[in-house]
Amino acid sequence: MSQSQNETVVPEHWEPRILAYCCNWCSYAGADLAGTSRIQYPPNARILRVNCTGRIDPEFILAALEMGADGVLVSGCHPGDCHYTSGNLKLRARWALLEKVIEQSGVDPRRVRLQWASASEAQIFADGVKELTEQVRKIGPIRSEWK
Amino acid sequence: MMGDKVEPRIGVFVCHCGHNIAGVVDVAAVAKMAMSLPYVVFSTDYMFMCADAGQQLIRDKVKELNLNRVVVASCSPRMHEPTFRRVVEESGLNRYLFDQVNLREQVSWCHMRQPKEATEKAMDLVRMSVARAAQLQSLPIKSVNVTPRTLVVGGGIAGLRASLDIAERGFEVVLVERLPELGGHVRKWTHLFPADESGAQIIGPLVKDVEKHRSIKVMQNSEVVEFGGYVGNFTAKIKNHETGRTKSVDVGAVIMATGFEPFRPFGYYGYGESPDIITLAELQELPPRADLLRPSDGKKVNKLAFIGCVGSREAGKQGHEHCSRHCCSAVAKAASDLKDKVGEVMILYQDIRTYGRGHEELYRLARSKFVIYSRFPKDSKPDVQVTANGITMRWYDVLSGDYLEFEPDLLVLASAMVPPGDIAETAKMFGLTRSADGFFNPEHIKLAPLTTHTAGVMIAGAAQAAKNASESVVDASGAAAKAVSLMARGQVEIESTVSHVIPELCSSCRTCVTACPYGAISMDKSREPAVALVTEAKCHGCGTCAAACPSNAIIMYHSTDDQIMAMVEAFLCTPAQVEGGTA
Repeated sequence: MSQSQNETVVPEHWEPRILAYCCNWCSYAGADLAGTSRIQYPPNARILRVNCTGRIDPEFILAALEMGADGVLVSGCHPGDCHYTSGNLKLRARWALLEKVIEQSGVDPRRVRLQWASASEAQIFADGVKELTEQVRKIGPIRSEWK
Repeated sequence: MMGDKVEPRIGVFVCHCGHNIAGVVDVAAVAKMAMSLPYVVFSTDYMFMCADAGQQLIRDKVKELNLNRVVVASCSPRMHEPTFRRVVEESGLNRYLFDQVNLREQVSWCHMRQPKEATEKAMDLVRMSVARAAQLQSLPIKSVNVTPRTLVVGGGIAGLRASLDIAERGFEVVLVERLPELGGHVRKWTHLFPADESGAQIIGPLVKDVEKHRSIKVMQNSEVVEFGGYVGNFTAKIKNHETGRTKSVDVGAVIMATGFEPFRPFGYYGYGESPDIITLAELQELPPRADLLRPSDGKKVNKLAFIGCVGSREAGKQGHEHCSRHCCSAVAKAASDLKDKVGEVMILYQDIRTYGRGHEELYRLARSKFVIYSRFPKDSKPDVQVTANGITMRWYDVLSGDYLEFEPDLLVLASAMVPPGDIAETAKMFGLTRSADGFFNPEHIKLAPLTTHTAGVMIAGAAQAAKNASESVVDASGAAAKAVSLMARGQVEIESTVSHVIPELCSSCRTCVTACPYGAISMDKSREPAVALVTEAKCHGCGTCAAACPSNAIIMYHSTDDQIMAMVEAFLCTPAQVEGGTA
């Protein structure tokens, strides 16, 4: 398993497949607002709505990577703004550990992204999808890391 | 929860939403693809699923084909999930046996120029939803009692009107006002449009009625310091700043009428550099008298100037992008009133928006009194210099195409309406979200402007957006009606999406007890060893406990691990993908 980016060969016509976990109250609403505002962003992400980012078991992210997601986005309320008071803080605490696990398992940690986007931050949500998509596009398909 | 052992029979309904979805996404292809998915026995595309005919189609197909799961691929579930849940229920199914796919806000509207990719995304999302639908379980429909009392936060014109409306309908109100006096901003204002009454004349009788009403308990000098509970059953701790005492009240509904703050425009047009440069709010608060005197030396004002849109309508500046809506009419009113007391009145504006009933007449009145309106370009704001000799304004007048100068004795800045400085803390306490302008977010801007995503918490007046007094009163009566209908029913259905501990799997580690933000999980000591137990009434359904449990002993109903993983798998492990195809 290699971390070196030089060896990655990005196949032609390949499009990154991104799974995006969004909390219902902030980021899912922000994604809705992006649509209502006709903000255009890459169509690579598939949004999976959860009530709160606190619902997200690190296992959900690892499993997605294992099943072949090229990138995983987690988008929630800003710290302090959680609809459920502190669910996002619980996720943030798990995230620190998760990043280590991902790195140690040999997967490029740049494949996962944690962001905060409120219900009014449609542009921030859309930019997050765009940045992760472009980042993952550079890294290449996750299958290339399964050596 | 309830055993749904029968094999799933899923119906998929793909909505065109007129041209909104079908204009980008190949809805027929999506519906056709859905037919090939496991457990799907019916799939179609249809013009408008939310319309009566669309709803009837669901009911008919459920009966005809004995469907036991329904997937609608249409707009955001934040819009029509309640509609379709009701339809599913009318078809004889449990409302939780429904899942919605967001093909409009999250597909067609944000990938308008990529129909092929949008269609692929739509197919993936439908595939995910169908996989989830197969895992859905019926949940019991639960009702709770509603405490017949409403908390109104804020004693301005909106809070007062809402309190009176509720009390007159026979319910109790607790009205909390931070300041010693009721009446909010309106009480202090001298030029209130469109009528010729002052703020005090308007608000006086309202305050009196509120204070003498026996169903309204007014708590002045007080603030809500703690807030918890759920629809119908909230508890607020209210602290009196004078006595330092805290009182706890139980309420069934809440109306947030926390209003606004006039923006203090430091850095704009010399504000703060001269006592003779004031905001419109400060002008309104000058004690009424025969002459208009300037604050610096008490001399009579002969030349008066206004500048509009100060801190409003600034594209790209967060919290200042909105139109403050009251200022054009308020300036027209103040200018025509004051024209009788001063020699010259000059109004510098970008645009004039006197949109309400009776407002245009004020603009015409100002014009007929020879108030001078001069338009400046948006990208070249007037220049204001403060010297020992006074104030000098210089600007480009659009209509004459020339630079003009004016030396007013008093300059009034029509500054923006912005949210109160502590709105972030208030939003957090009541679980509310905020819009880009900083004010509270309504549940839906068109369909539900007075309710919020926290069931049982309403918003009224300038707490929701920049508004004038008349609009705030309309809101207040509307929000009061919402609160009253909730209390009059006496009972309200609550979400069954709570978490549940499987005692046999619990390892008594207490991780969930500390993870729960609501203190809804405790240890059931009647068991040996004690295991975790969820108090359902306290559970808000965030699922943090389920994610934290190291023993997988917690089920988060309607958001189970199986349901989530089924979606992930449906997206990533479709046969086409395994063969190396790409999404």
